[in-house]
Amino acid sequence: MKIRCWRIWLMAVGALLAVSAAAQNTPLSDRVVAYQIEGTYNEKTHTLDATELLTYTNKTGTQLTRFPFHLFLNAFQPKSTWMTEAERTGQRDAPKGAGWEDKHFGSNEVKSLEIVGAGDVTKQMKFISPDDGNADDRTVFEIALPKPLAAGQSIQFKIHFVAKFPEVVARTGYKRNFLMAGQWFPKVGVFWNGTWNCHQFHASTEFFGDFGTFDVKLTLPAKWNVGASGVQTGAKDNGNGTQTVSFHGEDIHDFAWTADPATKVVEDSVRLSSGTVKIRMLMQPGHMNSVHRYLEALKGTMHKFDEWIGPYPYPQITVVDPPHGGGAAGGMEYPALFTAGTTWWEPNWYLEPEVTVEHEFGHQYWYGMVATNEFENAWMDEGINSYTEVKIMDALYGKETSYVNSRLGTLSERGLQRMSYGAAPDRDPAARNAWQFVDGSSYGGITYSKTALMMLTLESLIGEKTVIHGLHQYFERYKFKHPAPGEFTAAMNEAVGQNLDWYWKQTIDGTETLDDRILTASSERLDWYSEAPEKKGVTVYHNEVIVHRRGTFDIPVVLEAKFDDGSVVRERWDGKDRWHRFAWDRKTKLVSAEIDPDHGNLLDRDPFNNSWTEKASGKASGKLAGYWTLVTQWLEQALGWLA
Amino acid sequence: MSGSVRSGAGLLWRHQRLVWWIFAVNLTIAWLSSLSARAMLSKVLDHSLESAKLVTGFNLGALVLMLERPDVQMGSLTSDMLGASLIFLVYLLFIDGGVLTVYLEDRKLSRAEFFENAGLFFWRMVRLSLYSLIPFALLGAAHSGINNAAGRLASDAAPERLGFYVQVGGGLVIALLALLVRLWFDLAQARVVRDGERQIFRTLLHSFKPAFTSGLYVKYVGIGLLGMLAFAAGTGVWVYLPHQAAAASFVVLELVTVTAIATRLWLKATSASWVALQPSGAAVTAAPPSESSAPASEDGLEASPNAPLPE
Repeated sequence: MKIRCWRIWLMAVGALLAVSAAAQNTPLSDRVVAYQIEGTYNEKTHTLDATELLTYTNKTGTQLTRFPFHLFLNAFQPKSTWMTEAERTGQRDAPKGAGWEDKHFGSNEVKSLEIVGAGDVTKQMKFISPDDGNADDRTVFEIALPKPLAAGQSIQFKIHFVAKFPEVVARTGYKRNFLMAGQWFPKVGVFWNGTWNCHQFHASTEFFGDFGTFDVKLTLPAKWNVGASGVQTGAKDNGNGTQTVSFHGEDIHDFAWTADPATKVVEDSVRLSSGTVKIRMLMQPGHMNSVHRYLEALKGTMHKFDEWIGPYPYPQITVVDPPHGGGAAGGMEYPALFTAGTTWWEPNWYLEPEVTVEHEFGHQYWYGMVATNEFENAWMDEGINSYTEVKIMDALYGKETSYVNSRLGTLSERGLQRMSYGAAPDRDPAARNAWQFVDGSSYGGITYSKTALMMLTLESLIGEKTVIHGLHQYFERYKFKHPAPGEFTAAMNEAVGQNLDWYWKQTIDGTETLDDRILTASSERLDWYSEAPEKKGVTVYHNEVIVHRRGTFDIPVVLEAKFDDGSVVRERWDGKDRWHRFAWDRKTKLVSAEIDPDHGNLLDRDPFNNSWTEKASGKASGKLAGYWTLVTQWLEQALGWLA
Repeated sequence: MSGSVRSGAGLLWRHQRLVWWIFAVNLTIAWLSSLSARAMLSKVLDHSLESAKLVTGFNLGALVLMLERPDVQMGSLTSDMLGASLIFLVYLLFIDGGVLTVYLEDRKLSRAEFFENAGLFFWRMVRLSLYSLIPFALLGAAHSGINNAAGRLASDAAPERLGFYVQVGGGLVIALLALLVRLWFDLAQARVVRDGERQIFRTLLHSFKPAFTSGLYVKYVGIGLLGMLAFAAGTGVWVYLPHQAAAASFVVLELVTVTAIATRLWLKATSASWVALQPSGAAVTAAPPSESSAPASEDGLEASPNAPLPE
């Protein structure tokens, strides 16, 4: 009997495994594109000579008459839109006015373009500048089809191109023998919301692509370590000092690869609800002391995403550690691969490597799977990802110590986001094309930080678990899709069972800022006309706190008042006016009052005016003034060496 | 400990009141300049519960949010700080003549003598200080060049740490050269005071060679290292004090400050004691003791019961 039971169980488990295996072969995404690319890398000229066969299946439901393509590497030329913007407003790795250096020249040169079955159409390529009309920008070209592509039909483009990599800039390029090849191949735009979406490359923008499959075969110097999106499917020593390695990736919308003869490969794995995921890290030899930090952060992050948001569906994640001087390649996400960043001297108390690993892995969800349009809605990937970054870093490294954890001081992730938002809180709404922000400070402060603070503050309104549940539901609905902002807010509203449009309108579409403060607080005798002496427990006081709203952001307010008999009162104001008077007539006097006593409203720009204490405490001001005096003394002495 | 170092240490110890007076002025000027900061901070923090984040720990996020407030004017506070530093520099230049007279003659000066010498040599000290800007500016430029080169190496050179080593090594060389320049000018200052020399440039030329040949440079380096060790020990203690121990932190860091002042005066005393032993190039024209001055006390200061100590 027992034996029979075991057999039945074994058969059932076998059947389940078979179903599971079959399910794994089912595409996770609408595979619109299939790229097959073969190229040879010349390490001396930093060029890749390649052919690309792109099969595009028209799943738009309408006929297509033209196709736009990105040529991102053409951004690294003096007259391009990217370079012009970088020079005028700065970019992530260089301040404005950094000037042009020839080593940063990059290009994507299309040698020939053929539509399979229709012949060579190279001469019909036309560069367009849909965003700014810059005739010198060659980051987007368009091709008109000889005949329309009907819905449901496929078309194949065969492109011979040469990619010339710059010395590393904006996440792509070489540094000595290291190469990070991102945005390196002619990439078709996305037909989205009824039209082609193919923006020029801007200094502040990232990317947008259709899901599909990538089969990439690269020939490069033998013994170089190679990593790429997807998994390695083959490697061959060509016997002439070169090797050819092949990779396959599916249900991804971009493909990046890296090569470096110096890196050390570290392999590990992590067990998640979706199965075992292989971790492959390409480390710089001088950075091996950061391996355990990377791994701890990565595994912790993967577990938290698995628990809170959803399963990681790919079999592998590749982590690239850029070399010294190659920091511009660091901190960047690609499907199933990301670049981190550390140094040989990285102090343990400074959690930047951990934050980078967390953030870039988080993009596997917010960009990788929920593939929002980074050109137009950067807050949807960077901002939501910054929110999960705060949550996960808090969970892994402590709420107050998740960015800096030293004896001298601490800095939390949420503190970091508040600082960044506070620097430029009202110049741009989150819902703005990434290249149209006034400057990098506003772009970072709003796109990343304001969105993170928006989600964190939402926790104080509807609860932490509800927000995470909403995000999980949003992920499940829009993974392997391209949701727009309205789809995010609608999904969240539905998941949390509330209409939060009043909130989204202010935080996403608006530039309203918030600074609630205690304007006055007092305790006066109710019988102010009486000449009898005050008597504790007998005299009745009129206690009053006036809360004033300095900004124009409407949000409910909770006030906590404490009295001298130890009693505590919490009251709520709907926040629909410029100010509100809280008043209590009781036999106790007010000793303190605090707006947002749970410290959940992180959009409030100034936490120092949120509270009032009847008794002054000079501890903090004395401490800081003491240090200020000391710094002045030391500066005096430094200058005194001239005497 | 070699002769002039020991002699300098003896001078420093015997006339230690100079250290305490300079420290007192250093602290007073800094404290006065920080009053506006204190008032500004007090207004923001004293009635706010948020300020606890800066007492029980040191929350850098809270600090930055406070500094982002429009009513916290960092520009104005920084100007106060720079102003205080300039005042202190002028004070040091003013008392240099008196301090060096004390060290050169190793005797107690009356208040009148001290200030007479201070006043007598003030402009000569100012001129020496202005001259010293030239080599210090050159060293600053060299340091900037080394930093730029180190930055390029840190980015472009194959050995990852090369840039770091160049920066640290270059910084050390610059620091040693700066100390040499300081010795050169300290010798010139001492000669000016001992000989009553008015030809500043000539004195500088005469002091250049001894800076290399006198053996004082090694002593300067040794004293400087001791000062740095004391500084490191003091700040090391401070790091391990709890955040709430603001008073203890202040005391420890003020002791570090006193040590730094003592180190600087030890250097001055060492060079002065060496100059005092050298044959004079000119008649000693430091102002003679005033006949009307009161007898000097044991530590070199006038023992007038009514007057505050001048050093």
